[in-house]
Parts: sequence; C-alpha cells; structure tokens
Amino acid sequence: MARLLKPFEYFEPRTVEEAVQLLSKYGHQAKVLAGGTDLLISMKKRKITPQYVVYIKSIPELDYIHYSQQAGLKIGALATHTAIADSAIIKDKFELLASACGKVGTPQVRNMGTIGGNICEGGPSQDSVPSLLVLEAKLKLISLHGERIVPIDEFFIAPFKTALQEAELLTEIQIPTPPPRSAGCYKWFTKITTVDESLAGVAVLMLLDSTDGICRDLKIGLCSVAPTPIRARRAEQVLRDKKIDNSLIERAARVAVEETSPRSRADYRKRMTGVLVREAISETWQKIRQLHLRERA
Amino acid sequence: MKQIANFIVNGKACELAIEPHMLLVEVLRDELGLTGTKQSCGIGHCGACTVLIDGIPTLSCLTPALTARGKNITTIEGLAEGTRLHPIQKAFIDYGAIQCGYCTPGMILSAKALLDRNPNPSREQVKQALSGNLCRCTGYVKIVDAVLAAAESMGKEASE
Repeated sequence: MARLLKPFEYFEPRTVEEAVQLLSKYGHQAKVLAGGTDLLISMKKRKITPQYVVYIKSIPELDYIHYSQQAGLKIGALATHTAIADSAIIKDKFELLASACGKVGTPQVRNMGTIGGNICEGGPSQDSVPSLLVLEAKLKLISLHGERIVPIDEFFIAPFKTALQEAELLTEIQIPTPPPRSAGCYKWFTKITTVDESLAGVAVLMLLDSTDGICRDLKIGLCSVAPTPIRARRAEQVLRDKKIDNSLIERAARVAVEETSPRSRADYRKRMTGVLVREAISETWQKIRQLHLRERA
Repeated sequence: MKQIANFIVNGKACELAIEPHMLLVEVLRDELGLTGTKQSCGIGHCGACTVLIDGIPTLSCLTPALTARGKNITTIEGLAEGTRLHPIQKAFIDYGAIQCGYCTPGMILSAKALLDRNPNPSREQVKQALSGNLCRCTGYVKIVDAVLAAAESMGKEASE
C-alpha cells in the first residue's frame, strides 16, 4: 500500500455555503475531508483519488453538541467521537450513543474522527449507527438548493453507498429526547485486530411501563451483520406490548438473527448477534427496573 | 500548488510552503528534520506516528499537513529540556519500557497527553490512553509501569 497521497487541489471553506459551492462545482471529483481517519486510508489505498479535497474542519460552526428537553439533542457533524463519548449530557441521557462513540477505533482515531464522517462513510460496521437508528436520529443535509432532513434509517442504501448526494453536506444529527422511563445500551463483539473493528454491534432502546412491566416500545439496531446497518423490526415486534420474560427475550434474539445477512463470516456473526441481542435486551431491562425502583424510593 | 503554512512546532514558530497532499509526518520528518516521529502502518492502526496537536494525540500519518495550520504541534523532540529528559522519558528508560524503540515516541506522547489532563491515573486509565499505540516488544507491562511511575515523580516534583 502506498504511504503517500496523490496530489490534489485543497480547499478550506469557512462556511457551509462556501463548502457546498465547491462540492457543487467539482462534483464527483471532490471529496469532503473531516477527521480523515477513513478518507485518507482510502486515498492511500488508491480506492479513491479525488482531484479536489474540501476540508470542512475549517468551518467552526459545525462542531457542537446542544441539548434541550424540548428540541432534543443536536450534534454538529464535526463533533468528534471523543467529544461525544465524554459529553456529560450524552452520557446522562443518550448513554448508548456515548458508549458506541467511545468504542470506535483507538483514542487517536476518536480524537480525529467525527460522527458525521462515521455516518457518511456508510460502511456496514460504523459503530455510531445502531444507536442512532434506535434513537431515530434525523440527518440534516445541505446543498446549494437548500436543506433536507433524512431519517437515518433511510440513509443507508448499500455498503458504502448512502442517500447523500454528490453536492450535499451532512451538517447536523438531530436526536429526539427518549421518553422518560426508557433506557438503552450498545453491546459489541470485535474482531481481534489492531483497531478492533466490530464483528457485530447491537443497540437497544426500550420503554417499559412501571405499573405492569409491559414493554411499550423496543427498538433494536444492528451493525456489521448485513450490507448496511439495520433495524431488527421483526425482533422488536416479539417484545412490543408484551410482559418481558427471559424466554421472550430468547425468542426476540432468535428472530433478530434471522433478520441478519452478513457478508462474511456469516455463521459466527449470526451466532454473536443472537448472544448480543439477548445481552443488550436483558441489560436494558435491568437498567429500567433499577430506574423504576429509584423513582419509587 | 504549494501553500504557505504556519505552525508552532515544539514551541517554535515555523513557516513553510507545502503541497496539499503532504502528510504531517512527512513535513515533520523530511522538511523539519524531526525524525523522532515514526511512520509504521500508515493507516492509523499502530499509533507510532502520534504527535500532539493542541495537546491532543493525533495520527500524523493521516493528517494532511495543511490541516494543522496555526496549531501547536508537539513531537517527541519537544519534551526534553536540553539534556534534561522529561519525567516520562526518564521513567521509560528506568523501567526498561523501551526495547526496539520504534513505538516509544508515540507511546510517550499519548502518555503525556494523559498525564497533562489526569496527573494521577489508574492503571486501567493508562492502558485505555495507550490503547491506540502498539508495541511488539515489551508486552506493555513495563510501559504501563513507567507511565505510572512518571505520574508519581511528576506529582512529587509539582509539590516540591
């Protein structure tokens, strides 16, 4: 593999408008550079050889984490994994996202890499995505023609192919506040490699009625076990509006396994999906019960 | 086309003209002669190329140099004061935490970033902070010991 980059022309826009103008002008010959932890590897491997590189970390207003009960969580596309994993508000209210971002790559990769880049890379194993799927995040995409909001479960089309158009820029991730008495978690199992890429990742978000122990809502997001990150919607149905018990969790895990379609190491990934879904639901269930107990005390 | 870049490297301002495709590791090593920064895997896995940009451990092999314009860059050459080694460097020698030495600059810079923000880390926190730096010689035990010892000696120094 080449260690060096091929020459390109380099731009440092100061505003979103300037950036989308450049993207619109140079089309498929241009690439957006943020943290660089995915793009530069592809460039070194000569998988991508852009003629124009548009560096967007020069746009300060895209790096933020804002929260209000009413508006929910808004994360600028340039927030790094470290910033998200360390954010007090995200750790408190969106813990599954903090733990997913804390799992990405290595400390250096988390310092450099951005959540926007993780999403736009569009690979099957992007760790931030299962949590964003179950939190029903929306993505704000801006182009010269204006902005559009795309629900994240409509964003991933095929491996490394997303709904993001050539001249569009992802600027913000919008996440509604989960209902009270809900809890979630992100569980993963990794390949044993230098960066511990996920072999399977499972996010769960659950809403439980404290009076009757009935699961009012459950969402399951998976990565690394299908061509794109997916929701395991049939498995969610197994538990929704039911009183949770271990055999039902077991059944949901089996259904989730059927919903996967791994591109490689299929048998292993499927088995691990079953284990992780079971663990994630059980752990979330415990968390909610503790939450209820604390509320009563 | 070359562009002008200003950096502060190890406390010294420098200005040079660089091509956009040049990586920070190339500029540091080939233009500024700071060969303490190592390149190994080239794809951000091993951490040998780690430098501090505004105090934050960053992979110089995945950083186009122009993106670091205006920033404060610390390389391993910036730690010692003359012949007086930084306490982390000294601890690495005292504890046998250096064998082939290739991972050492990155390892020490990751350790420095940790101790700068958390002067009294637990063993687990040290392991976490160094988890993006691979060593194929030491088995890590001596490295972790060295960082903990450095934290202790820096704490003593500070209270004296």
